[in-house]
Amino acid sequence: MTVLLHSVGFGLVTAAIVALASVAFSLQFSVTTTPNFAHGDFLTVGAYAALVGQHLTNSLPVAVLSAVVAGSACALILNLGFIQPFLRAGAKRLSIFLVTVSFGLILQNGILLLAGGEPLSYNLTTPSFQNVGPFQWTYLDEGILATALVVLVLLHVTLRYTRFGKAMRAVSDNPSLARASGINTPRIVTVTWALDGAIAGYAGCVLAASLGSMTPTMGYGFLVVIFAAAVIGGLGKPYGTLIGALMIGVAMEVSAAYIDSEFKTSIAFALLIIALLVRPRGVISAEIFNLAE
Amino acid sequence: MLDYLLSVATLVTIYSIVSLALNVRWGWAGLFDFFVYALVAIGAYVYGVVTLPPAPSNQYGDQYILGLHLPFVAGVAIAMVVTSVISLIVGAVALRQLRQLYFGIMTFSSVLIIAVIIMAAPWLFNGIIGLYGVEAPLSQLGLDPTTYALLFLGICLLALTLVYLLLERLFWSPFGLCLRSIRDDEVAAAGFGRNPYSERLKAYVIGGAIAGLAGALLITYLTTWGPGAWSPIETILIFTAIILGGTGNNRGVIIGTVVVFGLIGEGSRYLPILPGFPDAYAALRIIAIAILTIVVLRWRPQGLLPEPHMRDGVRRARRFRWFGKEA
Repeated sequence: MTVLLHSVGFGLVTAAIVALASVAFSLQFSVTTTPNFAHGDFLTVGAYAALVGQHLTNSLPVAVLSAVVAGSACALILNLGFIQPFLRAGAKRLSIFLVTVSFGLILQNGILLLAGGEPLSYNLTTPSFQNVGPFQWTYLDEGILATALVVLVLLHVTLRYTRFGKAMRAVSDNPSLARASGINTPRIVTVTWALDGAIAGYAGCVLAASLGSMTPTMGYGFLVVIFAAAVIGGLGKPYGTLIGALMIGVAMEVSAAYIDSEFKTSIAFALLIIALLVRPRGVISAEIFNLAE
Repeated sequence: MLDYLLSVATLVTIYSIVSLALNVRWGWAGLFDFFVYALVAIGAYVYGVVTLPPAPSNQYGDQYILGLHLPFVAGVAIAMVVTSVISLIVGAVALRQLRQLYFGIMTFSSVLIIAVIIMAAPWLFNGIIGLYGVEAPLSQLGLDPTTYALLFLGICLLALTLVYLLLERLFWSPFGLCLRSIRDDEVAAAGFGRNPYSERLKAYVIGGAIAGLAGALLITYLTTWGPGAWSPIETILIFTAIILGGTGNNRGVIIGTVVVFGLIGEGSRYLPILPGFPDAYAALRIIAIAILTIVVLRWRPQGLLPEPHMRDGVRRARRFRWFGKEA
């Protein structure tokens, strides 16, 4: 029983990281309708940027801030420099998939070129476990859970109660109608990309902190977990994605406690494939989880 | 130098077969398929286990299934049958309800699952160590290495030529035309009584069989095959080769493969080594290929040799009449 509860506790931490990464992916997809195969590499960029920030200033806020800024910058470059010109030229959707794949490869191999393929890690004090209720967490886990909760609540408040959030929901529901109602659609799309990159960058630095080390292919490998959460929750439905992330995170860690942890990611793949075959529009299809009401 | 050129030519020839396989799926049927490289890998593994002798009980604990010690031709045929059957299963499931992005995600994840299964089940294909010591066909002739390399290049070129002629014939056939019409407008094609699902599935299986052939040739040439020999990244390189050469155009695809794998892939070996950057080669090579993909997609999406239209094809269709029915 303790094993189960502890693994659920680790699952919640994994779920928090998956939730950050996949909700950002899902939100960006719902507003811009461009699937981003470079999303995993935004996480990697965030992780390495935080490492650089920590090396230069040795302060945690600066490290986190550099992850957020770097992730955001990558997302803006991808959108303004690549996706928008392609859309203006009337490129096919499949071409744009490949452009995001290629952009991801450029980021991933750029990092490989500059930082090398050896695993690197942050300079953190060795975490010790504390008992929190039935769970066992380190201060790092608690920090990840708390900040993920804050970010997701802020995102929810933005989407529900601000003018900008309302505009985002309008663009996601119907871009041309939104434009006709006087919403500056290109600006909303740009800001959504920046937001997506910022959250992804942060998710990358907490992922690397939680794993203990980072490599240039870290985010690329994590992409399938992000896809799994997003597809289970219904692609382009950020609230459903949140529940998908919870399911994936807990399933991965609980399975790791009972079977070989090498199969951890294959559990995520298996859930993904079942979800794709049974309910490609998302397991959680209730209307309340749609971004637009 | 001659040996080196022969080795590059052989690899480029084999990769051209892979590109042609993916071209049937991506170029003609418009399927965003990442699974093709997993099929190459499966083809290689299957060829390995049916041509190798039974697993020896040595101190390394090597183990794999079958070990039938069959000759080259039988190995190739079995590899192609197995990859066709796997394509049929994956395609039958995935093509029924998944489109575009979902199909891409499904096939992308399937590759990773296959990789995990092969690593986690060492009794199947010897896990992380992989298969090794695959016998070269016709080695009993006792040729010297260079002549043998030339002979093997000849075998690969023969395979490529056969695949090319078959696909060129298919391209101009009613089946090829139907497939491309489904790609361009599925509703219209269905309105004319075509079944998009079964036509796509046929294309998927044809692509799978060709990928299996390429896999068998690849393991025969390399003599070893393990998890280190293949990764999902390779699929992207194949995509780049197709897009550069001309999506849908068989000749263009071969030219694209020569440029991507031959010129860029081999050319990056001659860059000066930067001290302190051990991974510079591999990284720069992928970056160059990614930039090339974006540039071609942006400014020449049809590629070097665009896909021919039917009206250009009447003459060429006549030329392929000797293959079968009147065109």
